[in-house]
Amino acid sequence: MTRARGAIFRSTPLRLTVRLIAVFSVSTALSFGAAYMIVERSADAVLREQVLQEFESYRLERRQRDLVEKVIEEITTVPPRTTIIDYRSDDGNRFSNVQGLPSLGGLSIVGASEIPLSEDQLADSYLVVEGRVGNGQLTLARNRDHVEDLFRIFGIVLVVNLLPTLAIGSVLGLWSARRARDRVEAIRGTLREMTGGNLEARVTGLDDAPDDIADIGRAVNRMAVAQAASIASLKQVSADIAHDLKTPIQRVSVLLSRLEEAGLSGEQAEIAARARKETTGIVKTFQSLLQIAQIEGGRIEERFTRMDLAEVVAGIVDVFEPTAEESGHKLVLVRDGPAPVTGERQLLGQVTANLIENALRHAPPGSRIDVKVGAKPRPFLQVTDDGPGIPKEERANVLKRHYRLERSRTTEGSGLGLALVSAIADLHGAKLELGDAGPGLSVTLTFPEA
Amino acid sequence: MGNPMKILVIEDDETTGAYITDGLRQEGHSVDYIDTGNDGLVQATVGQYDVIVVDRMLPGIDGLAVVKTLRGAGQKAPVLMLTALGGVEDRIEGLNAGADDYLVKPFAFGELSARINALGRRPPVSDEPTVLSARDLEMNLLTRKVTRGGQEIDLLPREFALLEHLLRRKGRVQTRTMLLESVWDIHFDPQTNVVETHISRLRAKVDKPFDTELIKTVRGSGYRIDVE
Repeated sequence: MTRARGAIFRSTPLRLTVRLIAVFSVSTALSFGAAYMIVERSADAVLREQVLQEFESYRLERRQRDLVEKVIEEITTVPPRTTIIDYRSDDGNRFSNVQGLPSLGGLSIVGASEIPLSEDQLADSYLVVEGRVGNGQLTLARNRDHVEDLFRIFGIVLVVNLLPTLAIGSVLGLWSARRARDRVEAIRGTLREMTGGNLEARVTGLDDAPDDIADIGRAVNRMAVAQAASIASLKQVSADIAHDLKTPIQRVSVLLSRLEEAGLSGEQAEIAARARKETTGIVKTFQSLLQIAQIEGGRIEERFTRMDLAEVVAGIVDVFEPTAEESGHKLVLVRDGPAPVTGERQLLGQVTANLIENALRHAPPGSRIDVKVGAKPRPFLQVTDDGPGIPKEERANVLKRHYRLERSRTTEGSGLGLALVSAIADLHGAKLELGDAGPGLSVTLTFPEA
Repeated sequence: MGNPMKILVIEDDETTGAYITDGLRQEGHSVDYIDTGNDGLVQATVGQYDVIVVDRMLPGIDGLAVVKTLRGAGQKAPVLMLTALGGVEDRIEGLNAGADDYLVKPFAFGELSARINALGRRPPVSDEPTVLSARDLEMNLLTRKVTRGGQEIDLLPREFALLEHLLRRKGRVQTRTMLLESVWDIHFDPQTNVVETHISRLRAKVDKPFDTELIKTVRGSGYRIDVE
């Protein structure tokens, strides 16, 4: 489930939808903002015009007495919520509908907080005009709440406008993203299965959908069919080669046995025996090549099981112990608890056998061969001899070469030993390392946790 | 050598087919030889065979299909499959199809003969003996003691297992590969002569201190403990 959730956030259509919605929201908000600012400014301009006219009406009073009378009349009739009126005459008298009003400054907008009166008697903000009238200073502050309301109105309109768009956009986007995600997941799953070796895997649920993702799905299916066909023909070719070459080899070995049975003279018999030995060599090389090809191209992973590598290795060491003793080597098994791995028992046995045989061939008699197997930090198998080893600069070559054209030259005999070891290691996802055992060679295979 | 059996050989390569047929006839078996899968399938169903030898790759119906069809039809005769392919996968595929044993080409006749003899006379799974013996040698499977002429022989577990295997198949040749497969469960081909070493170790304890040799080498084939 976490995988699917992770996948939906990685889904391209969803990302596009989210991005589109974000861009749309921001641009709508910006244009609303701009419109609001223009409307607010013009509303303020109208208000300012009104206040200035009112201010002018005070100026029209010629006599100071009439002016003061007008002021007093206004103060008593107009509540501070509508207009704050404050007149300070030069002789020290002050007439105001707000006691203790501080100087609010020329043409400005002030909030209720700057006015010393409880908020319920005040408007949220005022447009202030201040100036000299008669023999005094007049301050008029006009309620500008209707301008303030514009902000709320614009906000509501913005939300009402944006919400359905966002809701519809998100639902549609999520739906199409999910649809696309399912398709992409189907394609991804199919590709994963195909990489895992299941060449019969196909993308399903495409129907006849005309979109591009379905197109990709169909293309993957076509590719899979083509690949399966070419692999089938490759398998057929290697099976044919195996059959076509092994049958004549079988004949040659049959003919040689008949020759040996025909009662040859000493020298003739020796030549026939040598020819038979060579044939056996050809067969072994051929068998190894076929096996490498099968390991690299096959579906052996499907038969992998969990097992204790230490058990497998111990069994092989037991088989090789007498042989090692005969050739004057000391084969020592060092077991550090179980080493659980996932793999194919025969192939893991073969890897162990190849590494031991390799050490037996290259380490001089009298030397010691350590076979270590354990699980710390990860399951591993290490075969170390105290023979001459391989010089550091050549070690890389052995690993590089054995896998390609010159591999047959790096191993004595016909086993293609290290090439097979490398192929089997790859199949098991194990890391193959050649190291210096100072003196001697140590070959380490490190497996992934089972 | 051994009881005469009725054997069917289905093999498309004439040289190999003739070689197998001749060899088996020389051993006293009665052999029918067919060179296609279709005819082989028919012949296998009508004839009563003790062992059937089938090549895996045949023109027409291939060996795998032949065995599957035979098994599907309830035919129980043991089948030895011959094959040019020798991978782990191929062996399992062959055995899954219903073959009883699997031999990779090219093979020596001795190997084929030993395996056919092993298939034709599978020991009945009935009562397990607790003591195996050959001449003056006795192996007690419960106490895991081995004596020869009353004298106790001290064997390592792996030597005991090898001797037990040979004793249980007294009178039948066991090839190196057969020993590798059944005693050590090794289904690949080691480059070194591991089996020879094990046999010589075993001989050093079981045969060398005594007058007669129990474990015989069969030239070109393998090893055998004779029925007295």
